[in-house]
Amino acid sequence: MADENGGDGLFGSAEADYGWTQGSRAAEASSDVEILRRVWRNEKAAPEILPYEILLIQRIREQILLMEDTLSTFAGTSSDELTLSMYRMDIDRTTFLLRAYLRVRLQKIEQFAMHILRTEELWERLSQQEQDYVQRYIDILQKHMEQSVLSKLPFGYQSMLRQAMSSEEDDMIPEPALDTFVFCKSKGSIPSLQLDEKGDETVDLLSDDLYILRYRPIRRLLETDRIELV
Amino acid sequence: MFGRRGAQLCSELAQNDDERLHRFDNDLFEHVIEEANEHYHQLETRMVKMQQEGLDIETTQNRDYFGALIHHLSLIRNKRCLMSYVYNRSQSVQRLRWQLGAVLPADLQDKLNYSEIEFFKNYSELLGSYMTNIDLDLTVDSTPPKDPYIQVRVMDDLGEVLLDDQATTLLRNSIHLMKRTEAEPLISQGLLEEFIG
Repeated sequence: MADENGGDGLFGSAEADYGWTQGSRAAEASSDVEILRRVWRNEKAAPEILPYEILLIQRIREQILLMEDTLSTFAGTSSDELTLSMYRMDIDRTTFLLRAYLRVRLQKIEQFAMHILRTEELWERLSQQEQDYVQRYIDILQKHMEQSVLSKLPFGYQSMLRQAMSSEEDDMIPEPALDTFVFCKSKGSIPSLQLDEKGDETVDLLSDDLYILRYRPIRRLLETDRIELV
Repeated sequence: MFGRRGAQLCSELAQNDDERLHRFDNDLFEHVIEEANEHYHQLETRMVKMQQEGLDIETTQNRDYFGALIHHLSLIRNKRCLMSYVYNRSQSVQRLRWQLGAVLPADLQDKLNYSEIEFFKNYSELLGSYMTNIDLDLTVDSTPPKDPYIQVRVMDDLGEVLLDDQATTLLRNSIHLMKRTEAEPLISQGLLEEFIG
């Protein structure tokens, strides 16, 4: 992580020295990358899938294209290899973040495909392409399971979602462990956060302090962006 | 003991946790399937017997009922073992797609069963079309880039290759400096190796 921060610093100074892009656009760019880094970290640390950041991703992709454009324009005229390679590095780092973000989402989507498909709240969190992906993924996994195992089992035991026909509900769908512990940091102070349903246990979160808490009680805070995972 | 073979199947997975995919254990697998069907047979026999005796299956708790229950539970256990085995392997098969690309090397094909090979093809297609849809290759760049360029050594005569929109001739043992994102897929296919001089 420290490395990437270093990258931003390099980018900033190259910016100031050579004045390649207008200041306002550059400021915008670095803040979106900052947000993407946070969003990626949240996604990586949260046990369940989080809402797809459609607008942010759109902006990031536009910025990457713009930076590529700028770079190729300057590649023709400037002979300063070092500056060019710093620009290149900045683009690569942003692209890495973008890829890592989409990759970690895909991983969770595969792992909890069936659970996402039957839970509307989670389904709504996927991008259009990810929704297509889940459906097709379940299809091919189901086909594979049926060919290898299920079709060879006796009648009544052939479902991928239920242990047996006599089970009362679909009891073979993996779900994320929402009670797992996560490292988190609060952005502002949050007084008396309830840690269990009864409200017996509470904690006062101080701004910028590091906590290890169960994921479930802070789930809503993450949604409203009042807390971040690390 | 009921369920022992199923457990064996799963412990095989646990022993082979070194990421490498081992040969599909067809013999053991079929054994467990047979066992599951035998459990069903036993289960059915007891149910039929109870029905013939005119007993209510829901409420009677005689030896046939508990016998049937044990067979039912053992069957479920075997099913879970079989599914874990196939599912865990399918995850390794997916990893192959990320690491090696869309073409499965011949030596690995032998280790998979026919359904896994089909699954690989389907998964490969699925991932491919997702990446085309979002217009971004997600299989490169798996570690944070330190330097946009890396030095690579060419493992074989590759002839003319289009790199960075320029045609470059890659000869065996020659050393090149190229974009990491362009080099990574070639490295994972074993055509190049990172040159640390």
